[in-house]
Amino acid sequence: MWYHRPVINEELLQSLPNLKIVASSGVGIDHLDLKLISSYGVKVSNTPFVVSTDTADLGMALMLASSRRLVEGYQIAVSPDTEYFPADWLGAEVSGATLGIVGMGTIGYKVAERAKAFEMKILYHNRNRRNKEEESAVGAIYCKKIDDLLQQSDFVLLSVNLTPQTHKLIGKRELELMKPTATLINTSRGLVVDQDALVEALQNKVIKAAALDVTYPEPLPRDHPLLKLKNVIITPHIGSATKKTRRLMMENMMESIQAGLAGLPIPNEVL
Amino acid sequence: MREGELPGLLVNEIGGKHGILHGHVAFLKKHFYLITMKEFLEDRKRMSKKVQAIYLWWHKPVIDQELLQSLPNLKVIANSGVGMDHLDLKLVASFGVKMANAPRAVSSSAADTGMALLLASARRLVEGYHIAMSSGMEYCEADILGVKVTGATLGIIGMGSIGYKIALRAKAFEMNILYHNRTRRKEQEEQAVGATYCETIDSLLQRADFVMVVVSLTPQTHKLIGKREMELMKPTATLINISRGAVVDQEALVTALQTGVIRAAALDVTYPEPLPRDHTLLKLKNVIIMPHLGIKTDKATYMITEEAVENILAALNGLPIPSEVLPS
Repeated sequence: MWYHRPVINEELLQSLPNLKIVASSGVGIDHLDLKLISSYGVKVSNTPFVVSTDTADLGMALMLASSRRLVEGYQIAVSPDTEYFPADWLGAEVSGATLGIVGMGTIGYKVAERAKAFEMKILYHNRNRRNKEEESAVGAIYCKKIDDLLQQSDFVLLSVNLTPQTHKLIGKRELELMKPTATLINTSRGLVVDQDALVEALQNKVIKAAALDVTYPEPLPRDHPLLKLKNVIITPHIGSATKKTRRLMMENMMESIQAGLAGLPIPNEVL
Repeated sequence: MREGELPGLLVNEIGGKHGILHGHVAFLKKHFYLITMKEFLEDRKRMSKKVQAIYLWWHKPVIDQELLQSLPNLKVIANSGVGMDHLDLKLVASFGVKMANAPRAVSSSAADTGMALLLASARRLVEGYHIAMSSGMEYCEADILGVKVTGATLGIIGMGSIGYKIALRAKAFEMNILYHNRTRRKEQEEQAVGATYCETIDSLLQRADFVMVVVSLTPQTHKLIGKREMELMKPTATLINISRGAVVDQEALVTALQTGVIRAAALDVTYPEPLPRDHTLLKLKNVIIMPHLGIKTDKATYMITEEAVENILAALNGLPIPSEVLPS
């Protein structure tokens, strides 16, 4: 499946007696009812590692674009009304700022590796603490409580998977803990953020800005308030959207499918 | 205002289109008696002797023979930023006036701009934004595939302090780094970023997926990247310019982008700035243009003023100037 389609429900499963495997593109599997699929004896696979660097790259791209006001800048540069570039039009510095990574899995760690080269101070919050070597390799400081991370970060980047525990992980309370000069970046899933609370926080300048590759739903209805806010940039879920990576994902899926059909151990099986 | 006590610092204007930032004024007034060009022109007789230093902001005020002749006590001109191509260095030196730029303050900020443009272009961020935020119809995700940055080859033309900071950042993206420079860097510096020296610019252009131009504008670098250089580039390559517009042959760039000679361009600088509103570059889908972001952050601009003040005070006290620029 690509882009979470076709939808796998009871009706579909019942009508496919010879179905052996569902190969899902990307790493997220929140759109699949694993128990239901398993009850039909059908296997599931995803493509976890191949998407990591592209998603980390996009996280960095969103942080830089938001902070340096790239989208606004482009509009000024090409607008028919522009006569000069004002000297007092400034962005915020990324180099040397504090980045808080919520979710230090494969993707979160790759973001940390990249951010370190920008001389950023890196805080992270994760279910489990990483080991000392991993922490010191990127200069990351563990925050056992998410609150500590939220209060100190100039940029908060979300790279968790969507589970019942991370659903609306960032809500009104968390947004209010963030600095009013901070930016929220989301490359996980839209549902990790309480979207209505986010709209309010952005409107009332509780936080400075947001940069979202994911929303709920995707795409947002065209009259959604998030689309009207000047301090938001949204991209259409392009975390893994490069030619090379899409091809690798497809190859991974093929491998999983072939193994599944041959009754062999399945690479990237999701249990 | 105790006019006689602090040395006079001439600036173009405060606030306005291209003036000194309001947030910097208090700091400047601690060390200098600020004189704007307007005040100077209105009261030349009294002001001309007071001016001991000039602080250029966005290349203004324009330094010409007439101005230099009318400032008998001028000792130093401090430039904000690092580029000095707007100054006639020989002319200024002929009046016994020292010059300084502000290289330390700019390098991280400028390197960030370079990386921001590279990533935005590669991942089609501006296009994606318009698709996601437009009030138009449905979109197809598969239409917005970009180019993978991790593991790609970055060719840096101009490996000064900004170019080197770009290399440090690119290394963290596991990029393969090539560079071309007037002089080769030391082995340890190359190894620290995993950069390979290209003695000829051609060998860099032929191998790079991203070509990042980070040189200062001199007669030698004027139109450094022209038709020939772009044709040497891969058709899948992206050109990123954060130097000066005149380093790239703009007409040749338009042709190269229109005919697929190169994939795309990301320009923080053009010639002129801004471009005329009917310029072809503004209409091409495979170009993103920025309004000379350069070092435009609160932090970097303040650091530039701090660095300029350091240079000016050194000059006025007859001490070695930290970032002196000599006519070559």
